[in-house]
Amino acid sequence: MQTTNDVTFGVTDPIFEIRNASVTFDMERGTSRVMDSVDMNIQRGEILGVVGESGSGKSMFASALLDAIPDPGQLSGEITFRPESGEEIELLQQSESEIKQIRWEEIAMVFQGAMSSFNPTMTIGDHFEETLDVHGYDVDDGMERGRDLLSELYLEPEQVLHSYPHELSGGMQQRALLAMSLLLDPEVLVMDEPTAALDLLMQRSIIELIRKIGQQRDLTIVFITHDLPLVANLADRLGVLYAFEFVEVGPANDVLTGSKHPYTRALLNSTPNLHTPREEMRPIEGKSPDPVSVPDGCTYHPRCPMSDDNCVAADPPFQAGSGATDHQAKCHYIDDVNEAVPLNLREVHNE
Amino acid sequence: MRYFVKRVGQSLLTIVSVVVFTFVMIRQMPGGPLAYIRAQVMQSRGADSIDMAELSKLSVDYMNYSVNDPIHVQLFNYTAQILQGDLGRSFNYGEPVGEIILKSAPWTIFLLTISIILTFAIGILLGAVMAYQEGERFDTAWTGVSMFLNSVPYFVAALLFVYVFAIQLSWFPASGNVASNLDSALTPQYVSSVLYHATLPIASLVLTGFGGIALGMRGNAIKEIGEEYIRVAHLRGVPGRRIAIRYVGRNAVLPLYTQFMISVGFMFGGSVILEQIFAYPGLGYYLLEGINARDYPLMMGIFIVITVAVVACILFADLTYGMIDPRVSDEASREAY
Repeated sequence: MQTTNDVTFGVTDPIFEIRNASVTFDMERGTSRVMDSVDMNIQRGEILGVVGESGSGKSMFASALLDAIPDPGQLSGEITFRPESGEEIELLQQSESEIKQIRWEEIAMVFQGAMSSFNPTMTIGDHFEETLDVHGYDVDDGMERGRDLLSELYLEPEQVLHSYPHELSGGMQQRALLAMSLLLDPEVLVMDEPTAALDLLMQRSIIELIRKIGQQRDLTIVFITHDLPLVANLADRLGVLYAFEFVEVGPANDVLTGSKHPYTRALLNSTPNLHTPREEMRPIEGKSPDPVSVPDGCTYHPRCPMSDDNCVAADPPFQAGSGATDHQAKCHYIDDVNEAVPLNLREVHNE
Repeated sequence: MRYFVKRVGQSLLTIVSVVVFTFVMIRQMPGGPLAYIRAQVMQSRGADSIDMAELSKLSVDYMNYSVNDPIHVQLFNYTAQILQGDLGRSFNYGEPVGEIILKSAPWTIFLLTISIILTFAIGILLGAVMAYQEGERFDTAWTGVSMFLNSVPYFVAALLFVYVFAIQLSWFPASGNVASNLDSALTPQYVSSVLYHATLPIASLVLTGFGGIALGMRGNAIKEIGEEYIRVAHLRGVPGRRIAIRYVGRNAVLPLYTQFMISVGFMFGGSVILEQIFAYPGLGYYLLEGINARDYPLMMGIFIVITVAVVACILFADLTYGMIDPRVSDEASREAY
C-alpha cells in the first residue's frame, strides 16, 4: 500500500527514519506479515511510546530497530540511523560485523523479562566485562562507568556485580540490565516491555529512573508496551500499533486526549480506571487479525463501529484531519471520530 | 556444613546397610559359607574328622568370624574387620581378598575411566553439534543412530565384537588384559599391548553409551539455545563461538554432571558381565568367578568395594555440584538437583 502523504510526523531532527519496513515469516499456510510497511520517524532525544495489544507487532518493531529480527524472519524496507556525529547509516545495508558494532554501542535494547536476560551461570560483573571486552572498550574504565550507572539506579555496585542473576530480585535484575544496556553509552535505547514482569510499584520506580537517565544522557528512548497508562506518563510522543502497522502517531497528550483513530479511542475506553464508571468501560469487540490474512482496506474495519464500504475498499493513508499536522491517524473519517467514539477518560496523568 | 555432615552420614548409612544386607542374604543362601567349608574339609579328610572347633577356626581364617558365635556377633566381627581393611581370604585362590582386589581393581578402573571419558566426550560434542543443526539432516540421522546404539545392550555389542573382530577376523585378542610374555613395566610394548587388549571392551561400552549422552546433551543444548539470554548475548555482540562454549555448552553440560557420576557407579556393576565376556581380569571378572566357585569372602569383598565406589561417586557429585553450578550453592536448595 502507498502512503502518498507526509510521514515525518513533524519530526525535525530524526535519529531514525523508517520507511516501508516489513517483516515476513514464511509459514506453511502462507506468508506471515508481522510488520506491514511501517513508516516512522523518531526525534533525537525524545521518548517515543509504542503501544499495541499482544500480537500487534510491537516486538518486531523493537527488533527491527536493531536489525535483529529472529530467524527465519525477513526484514525489508529502509531504516536510516543518524548518529549524533558521523554519517547516516542504512541499517539494513550493513554487514554482519558492522551491525554488531552498532548494536549496543549506538543502539541498545532492554528486553521483556530481565530475569532471563542474564546467563544464570555468570555473575552480573562477568556480563559487564564481557560486553566491554567484545566491543574493544577499556574494561577498567568501563567498569567504573558501570559502577556509576548502578549507583544511579540505586543499586550497591560491588554487591550486584558479584552476584549471580538468581541472587537478585526482579527489580534489581531489571535495573542491572538497564545499567548494562547503557554501559557502552548508546544514543538510542529500545525497551521492549521492560516492566512487564514487575509489580506496579517497581514499574513506577523504573519508569522514573528511565525518565531521569534519559534526560541526563540525551538518550533517545523507544518504549514499547501494551500498557497505555504506564507509557502515558513517560512518553513525549505515542505511536499506536494495530495489525502490524502504526495507525496513529502524535504527541502523547494529543493522542490521549484527542485520539484521531477509532482504535486508539476503543483502546483508551477499555483501559480500567478507578474513575471510570464500569458501565462505560468497554472491551473492543472482535479479535485482532491473523498476520497471514490481514483484512483488506483499513485493517480495523471489521471491528470499527464507523466502518463503511469505503473502509473495506481502500486503506486510508496517514492524515491529520482538521487538527495539528504532527498528530496523524490512518482513518478515512478522522473528523467524525470524536462524535462516533467518544472518549470516556476523564483525566490524563500527563505531567 | 550441616548439609555436608548430613550427606556424608547418609552415604555411610547406605554402605553399612548394604554390608548388613549382603551379609545376611549370603548367610541365608542354601549352601552358605559354613556348608561350603564343611564340605571342603569332608572332601579332603573324610566325614569323621570334622569337629566344630576346627570349622570355627577355618571360618575365622577365611571369613573373619566364627561360625559358633551368634549371628549378630558374627556380623559385628565381620564389619569390624572390614573397617580395618581386612576383607578375609579367598577360598578359591587362598590369597587375601584385599590383595585380589588391589590386583584387579586397577584394570577395571582403567577400562571404565577411558570408556566413560570417551562416552561423555563423544556424546557431549555430538549432542552439541546436533542441537546447533536441529532439524537438519545431520541431526535427524544422528538422533536415529544414537537411539539405536543406545538401545543395544553393551554385552550384546561385546559378544558381537568378540565374534567378528576377535574370532572371525582375528584383529583383536579375545581375552586377557595384556600379552602374557610381557613384564609389567611402562615400556611402549607393554602399554600398547594393554591398549590393544582394552580396545574391544572399551568400544562395546562407548558405542552403546554415547548415544544416550548425545541425546541428553542435544535436548539440554536446544533448550539453552532458545533462552532469552542467548539472544541478548548475540545482541551484545558476544561472538558465536563464545556463546556456544560459555553459554550453551557450559549450561547444557551441567545437568549431565550428576549423570556422569552415577554412570561411574553403573559401569562398575556392568563390568561384571563385560569382563567375563572378554576374560578381562578386573573386579567384575573376579566377582563372577567368586560367585561361580562359591567363594563367599571374595564375593562379599568385591560387592562391598563396588558399593563404596558407587556411593562415593554419587556423594562426590552431590557435594561438588554447588561448585560448578552457582544456582545450587545455597545449601537449602541443593537437594532439589
